[in-house]
Amino acid sequence: MISRNSILKRTWPMLLQCAEAHRKPRWLPVAKSKIYRIPKRPVVSEEERIELLRINNNYKTQMRAIRRFYHEEMIKERSTLESASSEMSQRLEAEEWERCVQLNDKWNAQVAAEREERRKKEFEKMEEYALARIEAKDKELKEKIAQASERIRRQKELSTTFITPETLDEAIDHALANPTDYNFAIDLEGQQYLGRDIPIPSKEQKRKAAENN
Amino acid sequence: MSTSKVVKYVGRTTDFKGKTLWEIVGCLKNFGVGRIIVRSVFERYPEPSFMKIVKVETCPDEERRRVRVWVEKTFRGRKLDKLTEIYRTSYKPDYKLIPKHEEAKLFAAVKEEHYFPDVILPRTIEMPPLMKKFIVKDHEKKGMEILNEYIMPLSYNHSPNRVQRIAKEGEKPTIQFTMGLGKPASPALYEGVPLN
Repeated sequence: MISRNSILKRTWPMLLQCAEAHRKPRWLPVAKSKIYRIPKRPVVSEEERIELLRINNNYKTQMRAIRRFYHEEMIKERSTLESASSEMSQRLEAEEWERCVQLNDKWNAQVAAEREERRKKEFEKMEEYALARIEAKDKELKEKIAQASERIRRQKELSTTFITPETLDEAIDHALANPTDYNFAIDLEGQQYLGRDIPIPSKEQKRKAAENN
Repeated sequence: MSTSKVVKYVGRTTDFKGKTLWEIVGCLKNFGVGRIIVRSVFERYPEPSFMKIVKVETCPDEERRRVRVWVEKTFRGRKLDKLTEIYRTSYKPDYKLIPKHEEAKLFAAVKEEHYFPDVILPRTIEMPPLMKKFIVKDHEKKGMEILNEYIMPLSYNHSPNRVQRIAKEGEKPTIQFTMGLGKPASPALYEGVPLN
């Protein structure tokens, strides 16, 4: 419960510093500095005490009567409701149930028809899709076969130049007759000098050659 | 340093006057079975109220030491039929032991006819004005017949200590409760206030 006091306590310190802004939480024991602060016992005169006692007793009696009245009324109401549901409205409930079942069946039939139609359409679509896929697959396969046959043809053409056991001696002779030297040197300008025996021109020779050109 | 014998109590005052039940019973022979004790709170009534110890059971020593005691209770000059168990209230420092030579005096006081007025409490009470109107409206809405008298049953707390009797069916009560302010107990407080 938020009392007016607590709201004030929370909002006041924002506006102005209040001595009572911070209080001890309820569950903490008495502060050491407050142990000997004993609140004065309230003095109630005998007259007032008697009158207050009378008034409070009256109030309690009245409230007890009212509470009992409404409690009994609630119980009565509940019991009548229960009895009504057990006898008279049972028939009504059965009718309601019957009506609900019929409506439900109707809805079910409707939904079933819709579903059938939808399923048919879906099936058709699926068939179409499958056929298209088969066709595509066939086409791909054919293309692959064509490519492969092309490659075979090319290899066959090339195979005339292959070295076979019969032509081996010939090939050896040919290789020995024409030795190839793959060694080369490279200079700073990136020029290749193939072979081992080619003399590499010096800088001056190069310059002269450049001037001549 | 001299220790003074004067005990000074610090703290809130209390209405209780006396000792706890264990302080009394624990010091007596046979736990004081057969002795008379009195609660000083009940001494405010003109009729004598006292209790005779019949049976005692001790309990462990806790912060507020209790003891289980069965007593024959006489409340406001009327003896109760059944034994009363005192346990929950036994820690209250409000009990007094009656010395043996004063017991006879106490018993003698009971023998006189108890002199509190024989009040019969009513069974019903009239409804408050707003509730009457509300109920009339409610009954109209529900199509029920309109009540011809707006009364509701009263309920009372049942206690063996009850002194006032509740009226039986058809009996005429001696006092009547109303929803109004009623007759003030101390009219001096209402000076200058019109009461109707």
